[in-house]
Amino acid sequence: MGKILMKGNEAIGEAAIRAGCLNYFAYPITPQSEVAEYLSRRMPEVGGVFLQGESEVAVGYMLFGAAGCGERVFTTSSSPGISLMSEAISYISAAELPVVFVNIVRGGPGLGGILPSQADYFQATKGGGHGDYHLLVMAPASVQEAVEMVMAAFPLAEKYRNPVMILGDGLIGQMMEPVEFSDRLISKPTNKDDWATNGMDTRKRNARNLVKSLFLDAVQLEEHNLALKAKYDRMKQEEVRYETYNIDSDFQALIVSYGTMSRVCKTAIDNMKAEGFETAMIRPQTLFPFPVQPIRQAASKDGCEAVISFELSMGQMVEDVERSVQGKRPVYWHGKAGGEIPTPEEVVDAVKSFVKTK
Amino acid sequence: MSAIGMYSVEQVTGIVIIVGNYGSGKTEVSINLAVNQRRAGSEVKVADLDLVNPYFRTREARKPLSDLGIEVVVPDEKYLQADLPILSPAIAGLIRRPSQLTIIDAGGNDVGATVLAALADSFGKKHVRMLQVVNPFRPFTDTIENCLKIRDEIEKASKMTINGIIGNANLIDETSSDDIYNGYDFVKALSEKSRLALNFVTAPVELLSELDLSRFSCPVLPIERQLVPPWKKAVALNR
Repeated sequence: MGKILMKGNEAIGEAAIRAGCLNYFAYPITPQSEVAEYLSRRMPEVGGVFLQGESEVAVGYMLFGAAGCGERVFTTSSSPGISLMSEAISYISAAELPVVFVNIVRGGPGLGGILPSQADYFQATKGGGHGDYHLLVMAPASVQEAVEMVMAAFPLAEKYRNPVMILGDGLIGQMMEPVEFSDRLISKPTNKDDWATNGMDTRKRNARNLVKSLFLDAVQLEEHNLALKAKYDRMKQEEVRYETYNIDSDFQALIVSYGTMSRVCKTAIDNMKAEGFETAMIRPQTLFPFPVQPIRQAASKDGCEAVISFELSMGQMVEDVERSVQGKRPVYWHGKAGGEIPTPEEVVDAVKSFVKTK
Repeated sequence: MSAIGMYSVEQVTGIVIIVGNYGSGKTEVSINLAVNQRRAGSEVKVADLDLVNPYFRTREARKPLSDLGIEVVVPDEKYLQADLPILSPAIAGLIRRPSQLTIIDAGGNDVGATVLAALADSFGKKHVRMLQVVNPFRPFTDTIENCLKIRDEIEKASKMTINGIIGNANLIDETSSDDIYNGYDFVKALSEKSRLALNFVTAPVELLSELDLSRFSCPVLPIERQLVPPWKKAVALNR
């Protein structure tokens, strides 16, 4: 199959189908509604189900129920909708069920606005719901990468029996780019007999599967949390993904940025290179687990004077960048959170303001 | 004569409504048709009637268009980013007192075309043409049957008739000459099947020198891309 031109939101919907997910529950919200629109048309064509919940609260528990039955299931929403689902996300994480969430982030807090934002970084990577849990969070920077991440999300969610979130800003959902889908389709969950309540007679093991998040006994709850922690530690060992840009140069500043913002930073890095001013970028593709070691290593390189986190937020990822750099270099933040995206020129000016020797 | 002038579509006058499925390129076509006709000396106005799509609308190209002397009618500045279907009363006024060429950039699909039915009184007996933009590289318009289905849905929703086709085959930055040729063959076949005129096809301005124009039986509108993501620059229109 050749390339076609798709909006990020449409491509995300198609990618889920290609990943063998035939259950989609959602509630429309700008700037993500095209996923629902696309799948309301495509799901019946492939024998799948699109069900619009009466609210995102309901959607959250529809996902919980379907995943508990061993079905591949996913939803898409935007910031306020994810807030409404946050209780269910905590329950699903506690019950160790694989569900894929896509958040096409809009400006906040509150109703905020409908333009692109990365202000849900904390919500995605550090909680949102209650309790000690983590989502595995991936952040695409192009429509093609959104497709690949959605397709990778389902097997990852099943591998860890943990929700996976794709965190895209509004522009990733709304812009159109050429995309290609691999012919390799992923089929059903392979390990569901280990956890799904799909009936005793369907599996070899003669033990009940119980989907629950209630542990009244202190010792049991402690053990449960230790098991979850071990799982998150394993993600940190095995799932860190990132991309580097101009990292082999004698860079004076290291940029950390993801999603749409990283596309602007790439143009800025090219423009600075043309002027003879070298800068490099690390683009986290997974936000949890965060590429702590690669950032620490790059920041420590001789000649690197500053590490700058560019974000479409008032400074959230910068805390993880500081944690990575551990004071070895000064860490700065530059960003916007109203919906406007900094221009490459603005990025260049910001970088130069943080680097002393030019 | 400039290289671009050579490929100009012939003079277009009256009210031209641009419709099509989501993402078919209605806005980019509207903007470039306006620029093309303005450069040829026509008085041109463009109305943004896209009430359904919150991103990448005509309103984003307002500045470069006004610099060329093209009036862009969009909702009030204070509602520019509102996620609301605001139909500016200025649109009805524009239709009642049209310019030499008045381009109306409608929203996507039948949903976006529904608002046209509300403007029926304003259109009255004026010379109005509705053209369907088709990009066969988009989902849901990759077959002739699907394009005819969308035509039917738009006509029902707008209570108007589509009079012609604009071929807008493209993969944005990755468009090749072959894509333009294949896209032309597709809309040519659509034109024959639907008995609608093929008004023109588009081609990125960067590809014009590579194209064998004798292959086309219709004019080619060069596209100088204006709706670009923030890390890219729009083609400068003030040449």
